[in-house]
Amino acid sequence: MRLIIRDDPASVGTYIGDYIAKRINDFKPTPERPFVLGLPTGSSPIPTYKHLIGLHKAGKISFENVVTFNMDEYVGLPQDHSESYHTFMFREFFSHIDIPPKNVHILNGNAVDLIGECKAYEQAIKDAGGIELFLGGIGEDGHIAFNEPGSSLTSRTRIKTLAYDTIQANARFFGNDISKVPRMALTVGVQTVMDSREVVVVVTGLRKALALSKAIEEGVNHLWTLSALQLHPWALIVADEDATNELHVKTVKYFKSIERVQEEVERNHEEVRRNSEGRQGNTW
Amino acid sequence: MTSTFVKNVGGDDGEGSAGNGLLCFTNCLLAMENGSLVEKDLWIDTSKGIIVDSQKTFFQLRERPSRIIDLGGAILSPGFLDIQINGAYGFDFSIYTGNDEEYVSGLTRIASRIVETGVTSLVPTIITQEQSLYPKLLSLLRPRKTKGGANLLGWHAEGPFLQLAKRGAHEPTLIRSAPKEIESFAETYGPELSATPPVVNGKEDVYVKIITAAPEIPGILSSIPALTRPLLSSSSSTSSASSTSSSEKKEYGVTFSIGHSIASSDIAAEAVKSGARLITHLFNAMPQLHHRDPSIIGLLGVSPAFNSSPSSPAKVQTKTSGSMTPRVAGVKEGKKTGIEVVKKKLNLASSTPGVVSEAISELPTPPGSPLLNPHTTAPSRAASISNLDLLEEGWRPYYGLIVDGIHSHPNSVRLAYMAHKDGCVLITDAMAFMDPHLPDGIYPWRDGKNLVRRGYKLFIEGSDTLAGSAVSMDSCIQNFARFTGCGLGEAIKCATYNPARCLRIENKKGTLRPGADADLTVIDPVGGDVLSVWVDGREVWSRE
Repeated sequence: MRLIIRDDPASVGTYIGDYIAKRINDFKPTPERPFVLGLPTGSSPIPTYKHLIGLHKAGKISFENVVTFNMDEYVGLPQDHSESYHTFMFREFFSHIDIPPKNVHILNGNAVDLIGECKAYEQAIKDAGGIELFLGGIGEDGHIAFNEPGSSLTSRTRIKTLAYDTIQANARFFGNDISKVPRMALTVGVQTVMDSREVVVVVTGLRKALALSKAIEEGVNHLWTLSALQLHPWALIVADEDATNELHVKTVKYFKSIERVQEEVERNHEEVRRNSEGRQGNTW
Repeated sequence: MTSTFVKNVGGDDGEGSAGNGLLCFTNCLLAMENGSLVEKDLWIDTSKGIIVDSQKTFFQLRERPSRIIDLGGAILSPGFLDIQINGAYGFDFSIYTGNDEEYVSGLTRIASRIVETGVTSLVPTIITQEQSLYPKLLSLLRPRKTKGGANLLGWHAEGPFLQLAKRGAHEPTLIRSAPKEIESFAETYGPELSATPPVVNGKEDVYVKIITAAPEIPGILSSIPALTRPLLSSSSSTSSASSTSSSEKKEYGVTFSIGHSIASSDIAAEAVKSGARLITHLFNAMPQLHHRDPSIIGLLGVSPAFNSSPSSPAKVQTKTSGSMTPRVAGVKEGKKTGIEVVKKKLNLASSTPGVVSEAISELPTPPGSPLLNPHTTAPSRAASISNLDLLEEGWRPYYGLIVDGIHSHPNSVRLAYMAHKDGCVLITDAMAFMDPHLPDGIYPWRDGKNLVRRGYKLFIEGSDTLAGSAVSMDSCIQNFARFTGCGLGEAIKCATYNPARCLRIENKKGTLRPGADADLTVIDPVGGDVLSVWVDGREVWSRE
């Protein structure tokens, strides 16, 4: 696992936005071989979306051949409700980029057969060739998607009851009226996230500091579902300084040194690649 | 100055060619119904000519616009509405020379040219006519869509049921009362009064009918409830207090506007309770604000919490019987002299006929007026309207304001706006001389007189007498923003959403909500200049 630390949420967004754009461009997606991207909602990823929109408007990235799967959606909330994740994704991201609507997948929380909807979603991910990169955020209790504390770490897309903390945290979006906050959601499982080839997680703000420490400094534990990430071969967490408040100094120093080394390795690798290409060019 | 940038996604090259007919305006400030400007995209369906719900289109229809227009930071507003305009570009709606074709070509000329002022819908206004002319004129003014031009929404009949003392430019011999109440209206205006809206593509279209009348004239007040009863079929989108009309009663669907009137505060309030929704060119052709009897202007101050006007019809009837309440008794002397002054001035005025700024060239209001009592007052329907209904919307009328800086002083404009923001409706009340391309100079007019045009001010040559308004709606909006200090967003609201609501057509006009007609005006956010105009999802005008 890598942990990248940046000064503030905006810099975190820039880092991840650049990172995702590079991954998509390097992938050279085509209609036959699209880049499959998993996406979160919430306030943490907004700077990332903003940066990606900027890159798109500057002509540096196209989503024409990107297929997306969102993490979750409330049950029973109308699709055009101001707090639905359909509304969020359209407002914050999809309306500003060139993604074809047919490439977008969000769980339907108003489906008659909710279980069938979840199963079909897992199948759709498989049919798309699996998720290349899953971008995620975490809750204050360390949940990834709506996989609240106690969720099975091998869970798949399913119906979840929201934890009391989450309901309380979301009340601010529903006129501070707890009774109006949906109590259930459809969400991808921890295993669904773990199955993607790469996972990138945004963690910003003081309130997420404890969750970050529990997820990376202690053992794998279903009470902090993000900790499952420790078992993933290609995981990246990008945090701001505030979110590192509960980490050991040692942890922070270690990951900062990794970043420097990583940069060096990448620079060297790039040079080697360019040199070899140059030689190839000469021989032709 | 902002620049626009058009991008076609998916290889098609714009209008008329491949693509899904959807168009996205981006990098723009949307002029919202609440007067705010919000940075947001707008999606329209150019083939249907309507604004679409972008999120629904994306998730449910699985479509996104094949064409994107970058507005470079400009304001995207609903097209402006002008609900009181007498003419423009050399044509006067009130002049019919006996040739239908000529009249219609005048109408279409205005419709196609006025879009340069940002107006996409207008309600042609005719002043008091020979009674025999009404059926003809009103039938010619039935709603009309013109190719590449603004929508003609119907008619605004100013007169003939007006107060002689406030007749303005209206021909005094044609002004009349309504002794047979609603029957008099039907007689005067002819079959168009009860006509139903035209059907376009299987759907009923908008048909605006506005009547400006003086409620204190005999037979008027009692006719308001019947006149304003909405056409049931066309009013499905609006709930009305008087929607209980039974089928045997005729429906007219008229928007009743109080104007050219000296109605007392009580009568004015009674008119509103009976269904009047609008005041015609506020401050002009009505008594000035008198603190003891603020008359029509005072309607802007009506409080839903404290209704000072008589709440029971009985009280009004007491007044009709002639008995004065002690409060007004003291002013009785003043009233008498007032009438004498009116009479004197009337004789004077009638010796100088001709159209002279019908809103401003009026008799000064004598002190003590407006204290004319209603000549007759039929049992009011106020009793049938609950207090709740009054609280909801109709307890204060909308009011038209001519914001040329002349017909209403900037301070008066601001005063009215501060008193009742949501009721403010900008109107041009423009005459045939309204034409932004007409250079300043002297122009021949009628009766051998010449007119001097200076900016959008019109004077009679050799005098400082104003001869009507030549202001365009885009100038009104800019003036209004300056006079009141409100932003362009709020000023735009007064020329879009407010008039649309007044006419109960805010589901189709004056708004950017999904389903509304894609009539749009693009405005420079700095100066307020109109940059381009769209009607029915097609660009009909652009600067340069």
